Amino acid sequence: MTMMYEGGTLTIITRKRPWWQWVLAFAWLLSEVLLLQTALASMKEEEYRAGSICWIALIILATAGVIAWLRQRGFRWPDESGREH
Amino acid sequence: MWIKAVSQPTLGKMTSDYKRFSGNDMFALYPQLKTQREGAGSFEAEQTSSAKRLAVWIRERKPGYSLPDYQLSAGAWTLMHSAKPGMGLLSWTRVSISTPAELETHPYTASPEEMASTVKTAARLYGAGLVGIAPMNEAYVNCQAPQPDPQSKQDRQPIDIVFEDVDVPLVTATKRVIPKKMKWVVAIAIPMDIDLLSRAPTSLGDAATALGYSHSAFVVSSLAEFIRGLGYQAIPSVNDTAQSIPFAIDAGIGELSRLNKLVTPEYGPAVRLCKVFTDLPMAYDKPIDFGLVEFCKKCKKCAEACPSRALSFDDAPSFKTRGPWNNPGHEAWFEDSYKCFEYWQRVNSGCGVCVASCPYTKGAQAWIHEAVKATASIAPTTDGVFRVMDNAFGYGKQHDPEKWWTNDPPSGGRG
Repeated sequence: MTMMYEGGTLTIITRKRPWWQWVLAFAWLLSEVLLLQTALASMKEEEYRAGSICWIALIILATAGVIAWLRQRGFRWPDESGREH
Repeated sequence: MWIKAVSQPTLGKMTSDYKRFSGNDMFALYPQLKTQREGAGSFEAEQTSSAKRLAVWIRERKPGYSLPDYQLSAGAWTLMHSAKPGMGLLSWTRVSISTPAELETHPYTASPEEMASTVKTAARLYGAGLVGIAPMNEAYVNCQAPQPDPQSKQDRQPIDIVFEDVDVPLVTATKRVIPKKMKWVVAIAIPMDIDLLSRAPTSLGDAATALGYSHSAFVVSSLAEFIRGLGYQAIPSVNDTAQSIPFAIDAGIGELSRLNKLVTPEYGPAVRLCKVFTDLPMAYDKPIDFGLVEFCKKCKKCAEACPSRALSFDDAPSFKTRGPWNNPGHEAWFEDSYKCFEYWQRVNSGCGVCVASCPYTKGAQAWIHEAVKATASIAPTTDGVFRVMDNAFGYGKQHDPEKWWTNDPPSGGRG
C-alpha cells in the first residue's frame, strides 16, 4: 500500500503482492529463525566461531530484509532539507 | 526418511578367510609389540615416564589434567572396573531377579515384534541411546577371552569361548559356553557426553569414555536381569566376548566409518557400544544406510585431526589390515592401533580426538545439524561443501578444559 498527498488529494494505491514475494518472505523468515536458533545453540555449546558466523549472517539478512521491505513500501530517504527526494 | 533400511551393511563385507577374532586387541598386544620394536625394557620405561609426566601435570594443574579433572574420570570408571566378564554385574546367569517360576507364573510370551518393542523400551529406560536387534552371528564372537584373574593358576591361559547345545550359559575356569539357542542380540549404543568429549585429549575427555563404559555396564546388566525375569537366558557384554560393532551394524544402529568405528546418525561416533545375547525371540532390525560411507570417502577430517596419524587416508575402504590388532577378512578403513595407543601413553589419556572431530559428532541443540545430515544422506554431492563448512565454522576443535567446571552438566552426563 502506498499513500500520496498531492494538490489537496490523498491517493491510496494498493497492490497485490506477487506470489514469489510471499515465497521470498517465507524463506527469509525461515532463514532468520534457523540462524537465530543456531546462533543461540552454538554459543551455548561453546561453538563460538559457528555462533559468531550465525549472528553476523543473521544481522546481514535481517538488515537486507528490512531494506527490501522499506523499498517495497516506496520509502524514500529524506534529503538534507528534510524533504523526500 | 533419510535413514534407509537396507538388506546388507554398507561396509564390512566379509571374505571366506575371515576367522573369529582372538580377542587380542591393542591392550593385550602393546607391551609385546613395544618390546619388539624398541627393545627390552622400552614398555616399562614408557610406563614409568608416562606416570611421572602425569604426576607433574596433576601437580601443576595443567588444563584438563588437574586433580579434579583426573579424578572425575577415575570416578566415572568405578562401575565398569567392577564389572568383570562372566561374573558380578556381567554374570552370565541370574544375579538376583525372581524367575517367573518363583512368581508362580509362566515365561512371558508375545509376538516377536512385541517382544522387540518391550526389550527396546526397557533398554531405553535403563539408559540406552539407541537399541536394535540383530541375529546372532558366531563369526563376530571372539574365539577366546582373557583370563579374568591374573593370579589364576591357569597361568593366564586364555579361556575358549564356544557354542554348545546347552540350556544355560556356562562359565568355567577353562571355557565359556554360549548356548546355541541364543539367536538374538540386543545391540545398544550409549551416548557419550559431548561437553566432556570436546575437551579431548585430556583426563576430562577420558571422563566421557569412562562414563560411557560405566553406563554400558549398568544398562546391559539391568537388561540381562530383566530378560531373565521374563523367563529367558541372557548374557550381558560390554567390550568383552564379542565385537560390538558388527552386531550394532546388523541391528541398524549405524554404519562403519573411516575411524573403523561405528557412526550413528543421531550421535555420530560419540557412543559406547554394548550388547546382550539372548534366547528371547524378537523381530530383527535391518542395517541402515544414511550416506556415511560416501561422506567418509570425501571427508577425511578424523584422519587429519588424529594427532598420531593412525587413521587411514585411503580414498576407499579395503581388505588391507595394518597389524595383528586388526582382524583380517573384512572390508574396512583399518587403523594403526599401535600409533594410536602409543599416543595415549604420551598424553596420559585415551585421546578421542577422532571421535570429537567427526562432523557427525554434534551437540543436540542446534536444529541445523539434523538438516545437514539429512541433506548429505539424500544428496551426496553436497558432502564436500558440508566438509568445508564444518571446518569454516570451527567445529571439532578442542574446547577450553578449564571452562568445563563452570558449566552446568546435564544430569547423568548426556549433553
